[in-house]
Amino acid sequence: MAETLPDIAMMHSDRLIASAREGDKNAQGKLVQLWYKRIYNFSYKFFYDHDMAMEVSQKTFISMHKNLAGLQDVARFKSWLYTIAVNSCREEVRKKKASRSHSLHDLNPGEGEDSYRWEESHHRNENPERVLRHSELSDLLQSCLLQLNPEQREVVIMKEYEGLKFREIAEALNISENTVKSRMYYGLDALKKIFEQKKITKETIGYEL
Amino acid sequence: MNYKPDERTLIAYLYGELNHEETEKVEAYLLQHPEERAKYTALSDVSEILGHVQDKEVIAPPVFVSDPSIKPLWSYSSIRFAAGIAASILFILVAGKILGPEISYSKGELRISFGKPQQSQPAPVQQASLTEQKVAEMISTSLAKNNEEQSKGKTEEQKKLLQTIADFNSKKIDAMTKQASLASQEQVRSFVAGLQEQNLKLMKDYFQLSSADQKKYMENLLVDFSSYLQEQRKQDLQFVQNKMNYLEKNNNQFKQETEQILTSLISNPGKKKNNY
Repeated sequence: MAETLPDIAMMHSDRLIASAREGDKNAQGKLVQLWYKRIYNFSYKFFYDHDMAMEVSQKTFISMHKNLAGLQDVARFKSWLYTIAVNSCREEVRKKKASRSHSLHDLNPGEGEDSYRWEESHHRNENPERVLRHSELSDLLQSCLLQLNPEQREVVIMKEYEGLKFREIAEALNISENTVKSRMYYGLDALKKIFEQKKITKETIGYEL
Repeated sequence: MNYKPDERTLIAYLYGELNHEETEKVEAYLLQHPEERAKYTALSDVSEILGHVQDKEVIAPPVFVSDPSIKPLWSYSSIRFAAGIAASILFILVAGKILGPEISYSKGELRISFGKPQQSQPAPVQQASLTEQKVAEMISTSLAKNNEEQSKGKTEEQKKLLQTIADFNSKKIDAMTKQASLASQEQVRSFVAGLQEQNLKLMKDYFQLSSADQKKYMENLLVDFSSYLQEQRKQDLQFVQNKMNYLEKNNNQFKQETEQILTSLISNPGKKKNNY
């Protein structure tokens, strides 16, 4: 039986999850250390906001700690964890909608160069060739992601950045695998249009980098 | 051939989640239909562009999880309050018991005292019943008695002394002369025999002693040997222990490495794609 290093690592991960489920504080801490970066980045891409991402990650891991004992199958830990994360994200969205207070900043910002946002905008110059510079590329793409509807955004982030299989995404969102694939397809299609609008193509990116 | 992959199949193909047979079908279809191929390429381009978003580095905060259901009794404020009052009452009671303070008010003076009040007692006054004359008489009579007794005792003692000296001297001289006459050859012989016996005993003792010494020496030797063995065993055990520690350390290192691999695996999910 040839065991590769990743296999051994995954076995170790299963053991870790199992002992965390038994109530081993140390193992629980390790799980948080292992998954924090992923959950944070998932929620960061979902909201494109550091504070929200921190909030969601914290809630996710608190919930993980509370409910880990109820996890039936160790192999489903990953999709289970993302279920919690997605639910936390949705809860935050609901809260945001429910809160009646609005920042004065968001009221009547004006249009184009007359807007006070113009000054603080990263993309003061809407020419993508100048915007697409190094680290700003990530920001630009992330703002594109934000324009997707939440259902598509969840699926696209999970597939593109979190590397989940379609089966795992379906488990995490509690929908069928076919629905996941459809959402992914239409998500990518919508992004294609957004990219066209912003004149982002493979070539412009390749040229800038 | 009117096979046409639907959107879902195309998406599954893009992310390499089709089985071998279906993958070949899709590839053949895309080869034959350039307009579909262009659509597919557009999708895979979008996916590729998305790949340029970098992960943000973040450090997981330390986790402190405590069980909130177990709350110590003294953390309730009401219990703390009651315990405080009880403690102060107890303190007052104990202090009262130990110090025993007494407060009295009489004749316009307030007295606070600790312990029982002390009452001063007047010293008894003795009346002189002896006169000077009587004392003088008593002294003179006692002196006269004393003198008489002393003189009597002296004469008696002198007599006794003289008698005992005379007795002792004569008895001693008699005994010495008797002994000298009794000393004979027999006594000399017995003396010599006694000497011989003593010598024999001495020799015996000597041999006994030396054999005991030898025994002791052998015993020491054995003890030394066993302690040497024990020392050796200890060293061996230490050696084994060291080896075990080393193994454990190796094992720990292996575990750490495994965890590092796991971290990198989880933190950097790879993507497998079919880029046409």
